[in-house]
Amino acid sequence: MDRRRVRRWFVALLVLHAVVGGAGFLAPYDPVKQDREHAYLPPMRVHFLGRGHLHLRPFFYAERLREGTFDEFEEDTEKAIPLRFFSTGEQYRLLGFLPSRRHLFGAEGARLYLLGSDGLGRDQLSRMLYGGQISLLAGLLGAGGTIFVAAMIGTVAGFYGGWRDTLLMRLAELFLALPWLYLLFALRAFLPLTVSPLRAFLLVVVVLAAVGWARPARLVRGVVLSVKERDFVRAARGFGAGDAYLVRRHILPETRSVLLTQAAILVPQFVLAEMTLSFIGLGIPEPVPSWGNLLAILQQYSVLVSYWWMYLPALAIVPFFVGYQGLANALHVDGVTVKIEGKRGGTHHDIGTRFSPAQTD
Amino acid sequence: MEKWAGKDLFQGYGMTPLLEVQDLHVSYGAASGKSGVALAGVSLRLLAGETLGVLGESGSGKSTLAAALLRILPANGIVECGAVRFDGRELLQCDAREMEKIRGGRMALIFQEPSQALHPALRVRQQVCDVLAAHTDLSRAALRERTGRVLAAVFPTETERIARSYPHELSGGQRARVLIAQAICCEPALIVADEPTASLDAETQMEILQLFRRLREEFKLALIWITHNPALLAGFADRVMILYAGRVAEVGPTAEVLFSPRHPYTQALLRCLPPGLGKGYVGRKTKLAVIPGVAPVTLRDAGRCVFEARCSDRMDACVSGEPELVCVAGKQFVSCVKYAG
Repeated sequence: MDRRRVRRWFVALLVLHAVVGGAGFLAPYDPVKQDREHAYLPPMRVHFLGRGHLHLRPFFYAERLREGTFDEFEEDTEKAIPLRFFSTGEQYRLLGFLPSRRHLFGAEGARLYLLGSDGLGRDQLSRMLYGGQISLLAGLLGAGGTIFVAAMIGTVAGFYGGWRDTLLMRLAELFLALPWLYLLFALRAFLPLTVSPLRAFLLVVVVLAAVGWARPARLVRGVVLSVKERDFVRAARGFGAGDAYLVRRHILPETRSVLLTQAAILVPQFVLAEMTLSFIGLGIPEPVPSWGNLLAILQQYSVLVSYWWMYLPALAIVPFFVGYQGLANALHVDGVTVKIEGKRGGTHHDIGTRFSPAQTD
Repeated sequence: MEKWAGKDLFQGYGMTPLLEVQDLHVSYGAASGKSGVALAGVSLRLLAGETLGVLGESGSGKSTLAAALLRILPANGIVECGAVRFDGRELLQCDAREMEKIRGGRMALIFQEPSQALHPALRVRQQVCDVLAAHTDLSRAALRERTGRVLAAVFPTETERIARSYPHELSGGQRARVLIAQAICCEPALIVADEPTASLDAETQMEILQLFRRLREEFKLALIWITHNPALLAGFADRVMILYAGRVAEVGPTAEVLFSPRHPYTQALLRCLPPGLGKGYVGRKTKLAVIPGVAPVTLRDAGRCVFEARCSDRMDACVSGEPELVCVAGKQFVSCVKYAG
């Protein structure tokens, strides 16, 4: 196990999340602001060279409809609009509470669509950044809830055994076997046709946690089963340790590695699940952007074949996926070892208490 | 149980014993539904402050006895019948909370393998402190202070460095001492030590024994010392109990059992020891004595003497029933038909 590897992946993920978390600052526009004049505008180019001169300040040309067409645009070389960095623009709240008007870049006179615009002329880049906040938050909260539930259920099943174990593990098998997408359809059918974005979001999180707990719970149970029969646990019992103490001091620390690994696997999976839900219209409703409902427009054939930049949100998940998988692989070791290494200035002590690595599928 | 009724095998022990085990039967269940018997009717008595050495070969039920006394048998271990009276309480009837108070509080168990019996990721100080915290309501400062005193009792030098260490940073002997610190920190009346020195070299063994001698005096400890090495018991235990196939073969004062054994098994067992270097030359050609045959499978009701098949003094009466413990001399008891009637 390489502690540095964990740190490297962690920092990479931190940067990725900071990009999404800082959507208000990084995105030039409000994600719901429409500009019907510029629907389905392809990504625009930023120029440094114009009329034979090298410009120190990058600029872009305003776009206008090509004559005789209704959806093809061309650059209006008469109108060169300089890019402004750290410009003031629309009001936003950073991370939902810090109010600000400062944006990384912006322009006056025309809107810059770096990644194109959608059918209502909304800036695709801004929507991707803001949409990531919703999708990642759903993934993180869902994974957090799942891991919490899984740790509780797995520990109870493994530690107490007997009928509790049988009951909980049969339940887990049932949940693994459930066709959860259709279950979700059924669940959704109980709710009114339109639900508020917040309620839809919570619904998604709850559904994700409800279907995801079974596999990590089984893994936790396996770890607990093997830990509780170890000599030092029996020895602690011999000195009068109660259940609460054993779970807190002996059992839970040993499940940490499995739980962290599982969490790292679950987050991108849940983001993907959110995207699926929103894609088919059961997740976050318009106009609030999420990676899933940004892609929902691809259900229209004309969009599918004509506007390639509408696919871009699907790529947004890729670096996150890679990052989380890398972190999961790096975490794939005994948590106890990590702890001792940290306290002892990086020397590696093999203290012989490893478990078979957690499943990473 | 009937065997005991009306008969006090330990006459002359007038005082109320600290620990009294009667006819203890323990078996281990297997997934296949079969079960293996580990103890088939063990009875013993122990006075406060007394040291009882339990001697037996592998599989004779020594460790099972230790675990059964504190009711920490592995999950598949079942106490089938018997009684364990300790400190005026019937342990087999206590609920889980009462047992937690007794374990480590009034009766402590020192596990077989010091390297396996300590939490690998907690500092020594923390591990001793946790035992104290489980049994007392002391403040943090008081806990720390008492932990320091207990550690100082087992580690006269380098106390502070060892308190800050993790188990993997300590030697085998030091780990054994940490276990002893955990065992004595709540000043129990009885410590059950399950081969605590088995994995240590001879010199460290002697140091640990010396430490126990001191602690025994200091805390008025009763000890059950489980071992397969008779040499450790001479001069250390007050009485010795020989276990064979989950039964008591012989029990009595150390000097009598070790130097004038009555049971054919005890005699054969002690003959197997290598002769001391002073007495006779132990060279390549010297053959050590062995007990012929194989160690028996422990049975619940053998219906005969369990040692009969390997015994050199076998008689017709050996197969006609299980021999009972009978008094042969003073406080020495033997379960062999030779001495019956």
